[in-house]
Parts: sequence; C-alpha cells; structure tokens
Amino acid sequence: MRRAFAVSAALLSLALLTLVVVASGAQARSEHAQATTITLSGWSAGKVEDDLLQTMVNDFNKTHPAIHVDYSVINGDYATAMTARFAARNAPDVFYVDSSVAPTWVKQGVLQPLNSYIKASKFDTSKFYPGLLNAFKFGKSIYGFPKDWSPLATEINVKMFRQAGIRTAPRTWAQLAADAKKLAASGVLPAGAKPICLPPDWARMLAFIYQNKGSLANVQSPAVAAAVNFYVGLVKQGLAATQQQLGVGWPGEALGKEKAAIVFEGNWLLPYMHDTFPQVLMGVSPMVKGKVNGNLGFTVSYSMAKDSKNKAAAWTLLSWLTGKVGMTKWMSLGLALPSRTDVKAIGGRKAFLAAGPFSHGWGFPNFTATYTIMSNDLQAVMNGSMTTAQMLSDVAKSLKG
Amino acid sequence: MATTTTTASESLRRAGRGSLAGARIREAGWGYLFVLLPMAVFGLFFIYPLVYGIYISFFEWGILGKVHGVGTANYHTIFHDSVFRRSIKNIVEYTVVVVPLEMALGLLIALVINAKIRGRAFFRSSFYFPSLVSSAAITAIFIYLLNADGLLNAIIGGNRAWFGDPSTALWAIVGLNAWTTAGTVMLFYLAALQSISTDVYEAAAVDGTGTWRTFWRITFPLLKPAHFFVLVVFGIGALKLFDQSFIVSSGTGGPVYSTYTPVLYIYNTAFKSAEFGPAAAAGVVMFVAIFLLTLFQRATVGRSEAG
Amino acid sequence: MLQTSVAANEAYVPPRSRRRVAGRLIVYGVLIAVALLYFVPFAYTLSTSFKTLPQTAYFNLIPHPFTTAAWTSVWKDYDFKRYALNSLFLAVTVTLINLFLASLGGYAFARLRFPGREVLFLLVLGTLMIPDQLRLIPVFVMLTNWHLIGNFSGYILISMVSAVNLFFMRQYFLTIPKDFEEAAKLDGAGFFKTFWRVMLPLAGPAIAALAILQFQGTWNDFFWPLILFGQGSEHLYTIQLGLAQLSFTYQTLWPQLMAGSILALLPILVIFLVFQRFFVAGVTAAGIKG
Repeated sequence: MRRAFAVSAALLSLALLTLVVVASGAQARSEHAQATTITLSGWSAGKVEDDLLQTMVNDFNKTHPAIHVDYSVINGDYATAMTARFAARNAPDVFYVDSSVAPTWVKQGVLQPLNSYIKASKFDTSKFYPGLLNAFKFGKSIYGFPKDWSPLATEINVKMFRQAGIRTAPRTWAQLAADAKKLAASGVLPAGAKPICLPPDWARMLAFIYQNKGSLANVQSPAVAAAVNFYVGLVKQGLAATQQQLGVGWPGEALGKEKAAIVFEGNWLLPYMHDTFPQVLMGVSPMVKGKVNGNLGFTVSYSMAKDSKNKAAAWTLLSWLTGKVGMTKWMSLGLALPSRTDVKAIGGRKAFLAAGPFSHGWGFPNFTATYTIMSNDLQAVMNGSMTTAQMLSDVAKSLKG
Repeated sequence: MATTTTTASESLRRAGRGSLAGARIREAGWGYLFVLLPMAVFGLFFIYPLVYGIYISFFEWGILGKVHGVGTANYHTIFHDSVFRRSIKNIVEYTVVVVPLEMALGLLIALVINAKIRGRAFFRSSFYFPSLVSSAAITAIFIYLLNADGLLNAIIGGNRAWFGDPSTALWAIVGLNAWTTAGTVMLFYLAALQSISTDVYEAAAVDGTGTWRTFWRITFPLLKPAHFFVLVVFGIGALKLFDQSFIVSSGTGGPVYSTYTPVLYIYNTAFKSAEFGPAAAAGVVMFVAIFLLTLFQRATVGRSEAG
Repeated sequence: MLQTSVAANEAYVPPRSRRRVAGRLIVYGVLIAVALLYFVPFAYTLSTSFKTLPQTAYFNLIPHPFTTAAWTSVWKDYDFKRYALNSLFLAVTVTLINLFLASLGGYAFARLRFPGREVLFLLVLGTLMIPDQLRLIPVFVMLTNWHLIGNFSGYILISMVSAVNLFFMRQYFLTIPKDFEEAAKLDGAGFFKTFWRVMLPLAGPAIAALAILQFQGTWNDFFWPLILFGQGSEHLYTIQLGLAQLSFTYQTLWPQLMAGSILALLPILVIFLVFQRFFVAGVTAAGIKG
C-alpha cells in the first residue's frame, strides 16, 4: 500500500505543479490592467515579418498609452484555430482575414462591419485599390481593410532567354506561345525541363480568364472556355508542364531549379528566389495581357471580431495598421506591396504595382468546395480525362452553393 | 495455461471472505472504481462530443451555432455529394490494402527481432526509426524521394510523379504509411510475443515440430488478442487517414480526387466552409460504419476470454 | 562467433548445418540492408541540417559546403531549450498518468466482473472511431468555459488516458494465466493489491511498449497543443509548435527544421533505447531457427 500512496502523492504533486503553471499564466494577464488590452493575431510569414510586426506593435503601444496590444502568431492551421476561437467566443480582437475565406466568415457573422467606425472617424477608404477593398465588402458593409497584397507577374530565367535570343519577357498571349516555342526549339532547356511551368490551379488560370474578358459571374461563357483551352493547350502542346510533371513542389521551385524558364507568381517569389536560388538570374515583368489586362489580387485584411469586447480600441489599432503611417512602416522592408495608393513600395516592384487597377480580389462564394472542384477537375482536364465544358459546368454549379 | 475457470469473486469466497453475493458486489465495486477516471475522460471528451455531433447533424449549423433544423437533409446532401462518395471508395481501398500490409510487416519484423539474433537492439531501433521521425518530416522526405525525378524513379526507371498521378497517389500513401507504421505494429507484437511462455516452444521442439508449423499452429493463434488489437486500432487509424493526404494534395484531395478521404471531407466542410451540419453528418456516418466493422471484428477475431 | 562454432563442429558437421549457416548469413544480410534503408530518412535529415538553404534543393548526402549555421540559428533565434522543457514536462506527466490509468482500467476490463462491462468496453473502443476534427469544437468550447485554455491543464486533462493504451493493457492482461491472481487471492490480497503487486509487474513488456508509444505520442503531438495552448503563448510552446515556426506559406527553412527535428528526436530515441530492453524478458527463439 505504501507504494500506492507514493504514486498517488506523485500524481498529486504533478497536479499541483500544473495548477502553478495555470496560475502563472493568469498572473501574466493582469499586468496590463490599467490600459485596455487587446489581442492581435495572424499567421507567420517568416521571422523577419513577425519581428517587423512586433516592432510596429511596440511603436503603437508607445504612441497610444491607453491601449496595450498583445501580438501573437498562430502557427499551423490558421482557419481551424480561428474557427475554434470564434465558436468559443474567444477570438482575438484584430486578426488577419484572407480574401478567400472572407465571404465564409462574413456569412457566419463573426466579423464586425466597420461602416459606423469609418463614418465616425472620417476614415478615407478611397485610398485603397477598389479591387482589393471589394474583396472585403459585401453589400454595403465593409468588413476589413487590405493590409497588403500581391498580383501575379511574369517571371523569367534571363540567362535562358538570352541564350535563346529572346530580348524581352512576353507581354501578350501570342508572345507567350511564340517565346515558349522558341525556347523549346532552341535547345537551351535542360533535359526534362519545359518552357513554362503552369500549375493546375484556378488561382493562376483565373487571371488568364479575366484577360480574355471572362469572369466567374458567367463561368460557362465562350470567353472563359477559350481562356481555359489556351491555358490547358500550352500543357497539351508540350510548351508547359505542371509542377508535378517537372518533379517540383511549386512553379517557383521549377524556376529555381531551372526546370522552367517562365512562371507566373506573385511578390512572394522574390524572397524565395533570393534565399533559396540566389544564383538564378530572374527577370520580373508585368503579367501577360490577353484581350485586356486582367490579374488576381491575393490580399489579406485586418478585421475585427464581432465578439470583441474592446471594439473602440480595436478600431484604433486596425485603422492605424492600415492607415498611411502604419502601412508605410509595414512596407519598409519590402516584404509586401501596399494596398493604398498613397503609400510607396520599395524599389523594384513596378511590375507588380502596375496591376493594381485591374486586379480582382481572389475569393468567391462557397470557396472551399468550389476550389476543391476547380483543382481536381482542372487536373482531369489537363490529363485528358475530362472536357472543359464539364469542368465549367461543375464549377458553375458549385459557385451557386 | 489455467485449467480452472474461477472468477475473482469465487476465489475470494474460497479464501473465506464472506458470502458470494457480497463478494460479487465488492468485485463489481472495485471494477467500477478502477474504470471510473478513464470512463469520465472518455465520456466528457469523446462520447459527449459524439452525441453533440449527432445532434448537430440534424441542423444547419454555423460557427456561432444553430441556424435552423433540417431533419435528415444533411445526410441526403452528403450521400448525393460525389466527392463524399468518392472519399468513401478511396478510404475502403486504402484500408483494405494498408492494414494487412502493416500487420504482416510488423509481425514479420517482430518475429525476426524476437529470435536469438545478434544485434537485436540495433535492429529493433532501426526498424522503429521511421516512427520516431516526425510525420511531417517523413512525408516531406517521401514526397522528395517519389518525385518525377526522385530516388525511386532513379532506381526503377521511368518518369512517373508518384504523388502527382491519379492512379498512383493513394498507393504511394499506402507505401509511406505501411513503412512508418510497421515499426509501431512491431512494438505491439514484440510485447505480445513476450507473454508466450517458453514451455510451449520447448514442447514443440521436443515433438520435432518444424519452424513454419510452430509459427502457424502455435505462435500465430496465441497472438490472437494482439491480432484483434492491431486489426481494430490500425484499421480504425487507416479509416481516419488525414495528415498525409492533406500534405500531399495541399488539402485538395487530388490529384483528381484520388486522395480525398472522409476525414478530409469533414475537415474541409467544417473548418473551411463552416458548414458543421453536413460535417457532423459525415462524422456520424463514419462512426457508425467503423463501429459496425469493429463489432464484426470482435465477433470473429476478438472473442474474448475475459474472466 | 558463427565461424568458430562451425570450425569446432567441423569433424561432425551434418549436411544441415551448412545450410543453417548460409541461411543465417542471408538473413543477417537482408536485415542489415533493410535496417540501413530504414536509416535513410534519418541520414537525410541529419545531412540537410548541415546545409545552407540553397543547397537543400539537391539530394546529396554530403553537404557542400558543410555549415552549422542552422544549428546555431535554431538554438539562438528560437527558444528550443524552453520548448524542450515544456515537451518533457507534458510527455512525462501524460505518460505516467496514462500508464497508471490504462493498466488499472485494462485490468478491470480483463479480469473483474461488473454489470455493463462489455457495453462500457465497446464505448471505450468507440472513442477510437471519433476523428479529432469532429470533437474539436465541443471540446474546445468546454475547456474555454472552464478556463483550461492557454495553459497545460486542459491538454493534460483530455490526454490522461487513451483508449488505445487501455485496450492494449486489457489484451495483455487477458494472456496472463489466472493462477497468479488466484494465488494472490488465497494469500488474502485485495483487488488493488493484486493489481499492484502481482499483475502490474507481470505486465512489464506491455508497460514498456506503452511508455515508449505514449511518451512519443505526446512528444510529437501537434494538433491539440496548437489549439489548446499554442496561440500566443510562446513560453508554453512544445518542440513541435516550435518547429512549426520554421515553415511558412511559401518557404520552409529546411536546414533549421531538420536541425530542430533531430533535437526533437533525441529524447524519444533515448526513451526508446532505455525501454526496449524490457522486451528481452523471458522468451527465446520464436521464428527463425536454422
């Protein structure tokens, strides 16, 4: 029996130890009792970015003594963690919202409409690129301000282009096809490489659809079908390949490993190439143009929780972060592009910024189910087991929800 | 092996501890006491959420709660959803292949290691190694090795993107999981093998029974409780496949729906589309299916000799 | 050793023995080859941790250039000492509690009679069939309302005992002959004493297996720690949460991630090496014999 007591005692002490840990957690919270404490959360885009945001938060805390902001990163599955917090009425006060998930969260009623605050503070929303702001506007209500963004651009392997005798990056569909043919014929591509890496992803193909005057409002139109056929046609003609066919994880890796000479990616490609493939000479050029210019705006907003208990303070933080002062600080390291027309980006981003006026926010109703269908069906169309018409019909059905 | 089949209570009574009824009540009391805490944990954190989930499945249910009742509409929705139906087909195919594979590999390795060979500790450790490395790292490594120009293709030739080809993606996951899980199965079988007393083998040796017969007629049947355990636990684990399919397909269940699993369906429907009603319905369907399967396994392999 | 025994028996060698030797050599050869193959992921992890990020794109086992930058980065930029301590605390706590409760419960289900035992056991098995994703929200809301979020207590509470562990102990206890209990009863031992003094020591190999698996399970657990205390409390991070800081949407810091993974791996490797000795107890020669 003595040993049993010993074990029970050990377990009891473990329990007590746990309680101590709990208590110490509670202690930390009460330190900032004087100022209103609000929480700011987002996912991590790298230590450099996280540190920059923390610096900004520290600046804010200093200049706004009545408010104390706790910034915490959510590593891992952001959507799941936030959904759990929403359900428990325990969400952070201010947090990131990706444009793709905004329609869902708005429909679920977990985001605070900002119109009354905008009016009261006379906040000027006209400075945001309309396409980006619209990603967070539903009906007449605005649910967040875009904090930064990126469109797609055309990135090329300069060395291969020079060797093939092509002067500039392609600017139109016709030039894209022609350049790809020239690259393929010239023999500059290593074995197993293809001129273009095109992912089986509507998050790239949709830009081409917009360039052909198509849209998701009328998915089964000839304009959309023609754009899809052009995109898939490049793969079927052997001028392009998917990342799986090239044996890489994404087109950026294809460009880096010189398995493709042309890809279409956003601003995120630049730090990746710089850190991982510094020896590859990359050229960045505005996204190609079809009948018209068309591009996608991948953007994230700062939004406020509907259940926030400190909405006034949250608004102050939110409007500061997306105001001219806050956003300028955020742009200082060149990690992102400004979503405001009155904030400058650091150098070398002209190719991206040019797309501002004609970028459509990336997001649509019934996003996850539709995107799943889009991805799987496009893979099927590319390997020939499904027709374009069938895919467009599936997508149209899913968009209706 | 024991030849008498007395219950604990009867033994107590024989030891002179009062009436049989009293002894039985005491035994029951202790039984309940021993399982009290575990059942409390299971009840609160498993059974209650399940019951709650059953409740939710009859409603349209958002992040912030009930929207309105829909009767069995959610069940209709998921059974008419070709993606859900495909996910069921995928998971059945996957489980039927991966579980026997894991069992056979695990048992084989356990037998080999249990034998009197030198460097047992080394082999034990090396076969268990994949289970030690974190699942995300192993999946990343496997994705790398099974690339279109990865190591596997370098050895066997060809240019197939194993995870990118609809006809091979699921089987690549089978390979990956069988390889990493075999080590864990091995541990369970190793432990179970220790409980077989040596007299049995000595008797067999004296009778001149060959190795194969010794294994098949003696060892294998004696491992029945372990078989039942492995079948149930790893069978259920296989039916709940999520992590690898999520990583490999970036959550899309591709290529072309070939790696879409029911749990991925639940995950996407609940946490990406915020539709908890259909997600709960899918969860309930899965639970019922697995439960029936387990009952069947119990009736066949798991007939218990619980005292 | 093989060779000396053959040499010693040289004069009496019956034909069978030579086959035995050849068979053994083949078995060892295959075993070693397969075992080495099993080491491949570890070797790859190790070698990547000494590469620079650009180098990780290529599959070569020897890093060119060889650098320890990732290791210093992991140690300095991230608080892995703290993460390791947190993981250690949780793993030890949860494992100890699990071993106790699972063996207690497993014994009861295997050997004690009480009304509704089979139904309750089916319920236990039933818990295995519920995917985490399904029970996430109810559990999370419950724990939030009880203020057990943002610290370890909620996590420990839901991890105190797992159905797998209990199930396995039950199966193991089923294989132990009843003679032992009867002897104990005749000696006048009560139920708990029988369990503690007689049955538990007999379950050594099972306890060892579960110790390894539960320690490792808690050590490698990512999902529940993330949800229950992994948001905004960096001082509470476990090693897995710490490692998650090294991958973001368009980039993964592979060298640091591999270095961190090896750091994460060492303690469970130690646990494994310590406990795997308990598999030696008792038995010889099943399986391969000449």
